[in-house]
Amino acid sequence: MPYRTHHSRSAPFVATCPDCEIERSSDSATELVAFYRRHHRHTGHDIVVTRADLEFSAAVTAALDASDDVAAVVDGLDARYGVDKHDSIESGTDGVPIGIVVAAMSERGFTVGETLEAIAGVRMTGALYEPRDDHLAAF
Amino acid sequence: MPYSMTRWNNGLDEVEQVSADITDETNALPARYFTDPSVHEMEKEKVFGRYWVYAGHANCIPEAGDYFTRTIGDREIIVLRNHDGDIQAFYNVCAHRGSAIVEETPMTDPDNARRIQCPYHLWTYDLDGDLASTPRSFEEARLNPDLEDEDVPDLDADSNSLMDVHSDRIGPFVFVNFAADPMPLAEQAGKLKSELESLPLAEYELAQRIVSEVECNWKVFGGNYSECDHCQANHQDWVTDLELLDSELEVNDYHWVLHYKHREDVDDEMRIHDEHEAQFHYFWPNFTVNMYGTADGYGTYIIDPIDEERFQLVADYYFKDPELTDEEEQFIRTSRQLQEEDFELVERQQRGLKSGAIAQAQLGPNEHTVHKLHRLAQAAYEV
Ligand code: FES
Ligand SMILES: [Fe+2]
Ligand SMILES: [Zn+2]
Repeated sequence: MPYRTHHSRSAPFVATCPDCEIERSSDSATELVAFYRRHHRHTGHDIVVTRADLEFSAAVTAALDASDDVAAVVDGLDARYGVDKHDSIESGTDGVPIGIVVAAMSERGFTVGETLEAIAGVRMTGALYEPRDDHLAAF
Repeated sequence: MPYSMTRWNNGLDEVEQVSADITDETNALPARYFTDPSVHEMEKEKVFGRYWVYAGHANCIPEAGDYFTRTIGDREIIVLRNHDGDIQAFYNVCAHRGSAIVEETPMTDPDNARRIQCPYHLWTYDLDGDLASTPRSFEEARLNPDLEDEDVPDLDADSNSLMDVHSDRIGPFVFVNFAADPMPLAEQAGKLKSELESLPLAEYELAQRIVSEVECNWKVFGGNYSECDHCQANHQDWVTDLELLDSELEVNDYHWVLHYKHREDVDDEMRIHDEHEAQFHYFWPNFTVNMYGTADGYGTYIIDPIDEERFQLVADYYFKDPELTDEEEQFIRTSRQLQEEDFELVERQQRGLKSGAIAQAQLGPNEHTVHKLHRLAQAAYEV
């Protein structure tokens, strides 16, 4: 059982480092990515999202179920089908917050590090871009 | 008469500088220094840009070419062992057009390089940081119709070397200083240097690093670490082994030592120092050496600010053998329990400081270590 659970009772997003057995909760999925980056800088450890309180429409859920491919997931999220309660996805062209992508991919069994690596790989093919920093859109 | 009076934000009181006299009512750093984002920015220069700051442990990079990176404030550095076996530090910035060179490489997972090569245009540096080679395109001007090859100047290896960062050691502990002309590490460390050098610290290896994020200003945690007025009420398991009244908090110029006397019947034969006690050393600004007195090993903390209201506690544990025994794992658990007890306290304190109700808190007579911390912070801000 990771430490710091006293923190996380109501937070919609929770991530943990299995090596350190520490937990971080936040109102923002994007903050979990920032947490990963800070934690990884000191330790090289990967981070697992353990709670992501996302509410997707049936169409987005179907898109997520159809594929482990991160570009397809971004495309599904970007089509304005779904809006989660906390990080708003304002419009298609603004892109999907990277934390939402990380949270959605975590339901496919990806760690934060694995998702970021997959995103970087797909970006290098040109199939994903960042219309804003840390926001993703499929090309 | 009260010992001193708290200064509330009641519209009447003004805060004052931290009084040098601990019996004065204005003996603490005003609250805004724990909550103001501009103070966090200022500290990057005035605290972390000017004093000796812990970079890491020499045993993690035993061979020539072994290196790790570390970020202090906004500065990213490479700490490496050169061919002479010395440890050097450089900015992780290329002399050509300023690219960062190597990827983040934590001390827990160091890398090895024969040379340091910038991935952008392949300028290559030797382990002393001197420019060793550049591609042909920097020696001739084929793409430039206005310049003859023979007019291309040679690049001087020395003046195009990586930018050095001052570094020095106390035993296996590597410290860096970003000031142009810093005071010697020996001066900042004072007797901490001889005390640590008298212990066989280099015989121990990093066995575990645990990094926690805590929602308080780094100085709030630094203050909590430094006093034990909270121990009786908040560390009930731990204090059963201590003679708190026989303990002593010793203050020096830039460091303070908490000597927690063990009770007569405590089995502390495992300790690495002579005294029948736990010894915690705080070295300004944000490094501690933790000798628990009940384990053949030691720990260190880096209290690394994230912003004005958060920090990372980088807790490292050193044992003779990096493969942990069951007892050592249990020992780390106990240490983690103490941390969690403290995290709860300091996050609660930060909440109070943030509320805006208090302008300047007050320190008690046995919080002279915290007083030292606050005075050092203030002295750093003033320069
Ligand atoms: S910036 Fe490093 S080689 Fe050009
Ligand atoms: Fe404590
Ligand atoms: Zn970790």
